[in-house]
Amino acid sequence: MSAPQVMSRPVTAAVETRGVSKVFPMAAGPVIAVRDVSLRIDAGEYVAVCGPSGCGKSTLLHILGCVEIPTAGTLRLDDQDVSSLDDAGRSAVRLAKIGFVFQRFFLLPMLTAAENVELPQAESGVRRAERRRRTAELLEYVGLSHRAHHRPSQLSGGEAQRVAIARALANRPRLLLADEPTGELDQATGDQVARLLERVQADGTTVVVVTHDPAIASRAPRRLMMRDGRIESDAR
Amino acid sequence: MRAWAFALRSLLRQPARSGLGILGVTAVGTLLFDMLLLSRGLEVSFRHLLDATGFDVRVMAAELPFAGPRLTRATATAAAIARLPEVAAAVPIAVQRATARTGAGASTPLFLLGAGIGAPRPWVVAEGGDLPAEAGNPPAVMVNRRLAGSLHVRPGDVLMLSGPCGAEPSALPAVPFRIAGVAEFPFEEASQANAGMRLADLRRVCGKDADEADLLLVQSRDGVAASQTVQAIHAAQPELYAFSNAELVAQFEQAGFSYFRQISVVLATVTLFFGFLLITALLTVSVNQRFGEIAAVRALGFSRRRVVADVFCQSAVLVGTGGLLALPAGFALARWLDAILRSLPEIPARLHFFVFQPRALVLHLALMVVTAVLAALYPMRLVARLPIAATLREEVVS
Repeated sequence: MSAPQVMSRPVTAAVETRGVSKVFPMAAGPVIAVRDVSLRIDAGEYVAVCGPSGCGKSTLLHILGCVEIPTAGTLRLDDQDVSSLDDAGRSAVRLAKIGFVFQRFFLLPMLTAAENVELPQAESGVRRAERRRRTAELLEYVGLSHRAHHRPSQLSGGEAQRVAIARALANRPRLLLADEPTGELDQATGDQVARLLERVQADGTTVVVVTHDPAIASRAPRRLMMRDGRIESDAR
Repeated sequence: MRAWAFALRSLLRQPARSGLGILGVTAVGTLLFDMLLLSRGLEVSFRHLLDATGFDVRVMAAELPFAGPRLTRATATAAAIARLPEVAAAVPIAVQRATARTGAGASTPLFLLGAGIGAPRPWVVAEGGDLPAEAGNPPAVMVNRRLAGSLHVRPGDVLMLSGPCGAEPSALPAVPFRIAGVAEFPFEEASQANAGMRLADLRRVCGKDADEADLLLVQSRDGVAASQTVQAIHAAQPELYAFSNAELVAQFEQAGFSYFRQISVVLATVTLFFGFLLITALLTVSVNQRFGEIAAVRALGFSRRRVVADVFCQSAVLVGTGGLLALPAGFALARWLDAILRSLPEIPARLHFFVFQPRALVLHLALMVVTAVLAALYPMRLVARLPIAATLREEVVS
């Protein structure tokens, strides 16, 4: 089917950090999750962030997704400085420009697959007819048109994650962030999801995937290796 | 999907829990509504009863009727008051205990109500005629349904009435009366036999010559406020106590009605508190179970205001549904409780404890809204302060 995204864009920074750090105050003393990370991810790139547990890759992803406020440094998203936005401003940015895919899917169980995909669109004020059209298009894109009216409990893990990807793409985000998107899936299903993410990137969306899975990471054209909150290597 | 629809779907997700919540709110709302009906019910009903007699001022020799010295020179005093420009009618009333007997030998104790005959009468004719304007022989009497039923008498029959009218036994001969009609007496008890007659005939039954009465019922002229009439009577008869119906209700309220209000305030507060706890607990549990989902939709761009609104809407749907269901349930329970209370001895049959007023409905709805808001505060705070990233991390770890 035709891609839901615009295919070609000039090579601009989809997201850029300068000297970003994140410190969590803990009872035993502050924990530095991300240390002085400066990073530029161009529009349309597919980046995998890897590293051992606790190295700060999810925290970095959350900072890139405007759900975590960095302790220091600046964050530019789509050429807009979002470091100083308040909560409402960050919510608006997330709604319009960022799509999230979670390890545990977090589909709303009382809604059908189609309603889950409609949800972000409804929140951003898309009219019902347009929502329906876009939802049908996205479910077809992820190969789940026949499951549109099923609830998450009636979907397999792979199907649920594909619905979650469709939901993440609902508002045509510039940036898709996936945190261990195959973490709950078996190898074969994980491969399907990985291929879908590659397709999303190929259709023009910038994709950043945090993963433990070397197989998934190896499929990304660019791989960031993190250790102790720092980017240890940036391989293309 | 708007917040209301979203809230509804969230509640339907756990139908049993939501159903129990609504049931709990219905129970709380039912009790609350009944307490609101009770809080002013007696006062409203008593006022209605006083007004229904057609008299708006009562004149007594003491501050409360039947509780102090009787009015002396009752006929003359009534006539003097009736001559006041503010007054349309003044009727002396005396009440005595007596015994009624039929020719067939059936007898029953009863209350005799003697009234100065004029218009209006302190009873409402239900069957047959009213007392004639002129005294007759035998004299006429009005009986209530209870008396007519217990002695199997009807208009036209003869009824023998005798004392004692006081505490002491009486050896006075019974006086024959012809029943003119069946009447309803405003303050009669359901199980109480009553008869109404001229004041002079009552004295004859009781063998008393003194021109005494327990109170005067006064009707103000059209356009004259009861308070003006009261002032005029005070000025003309300073030794007497005159009260408008409103003043009398206020006096009774101080003397006893306020207990019902206090009880209803306490019980209403307790029930509301339980409702508050119930909804807070339900919503808090629900929110706690959905932290991951809430953090996820926040990450997807839902604003803080929106997720807080979802919780509030859930509270409003629970409390609103329960609150509305509480209205018919409250009416049904109030009817039942009213019947129980009205069966107590010495309660006028037309007096109600639970009386509907629009004010009670408005207050019920307002209190339910306040409960919904208060109950939602804590879970709304939890949602508002939910750290998105930390919650997503914790959900994955757990």
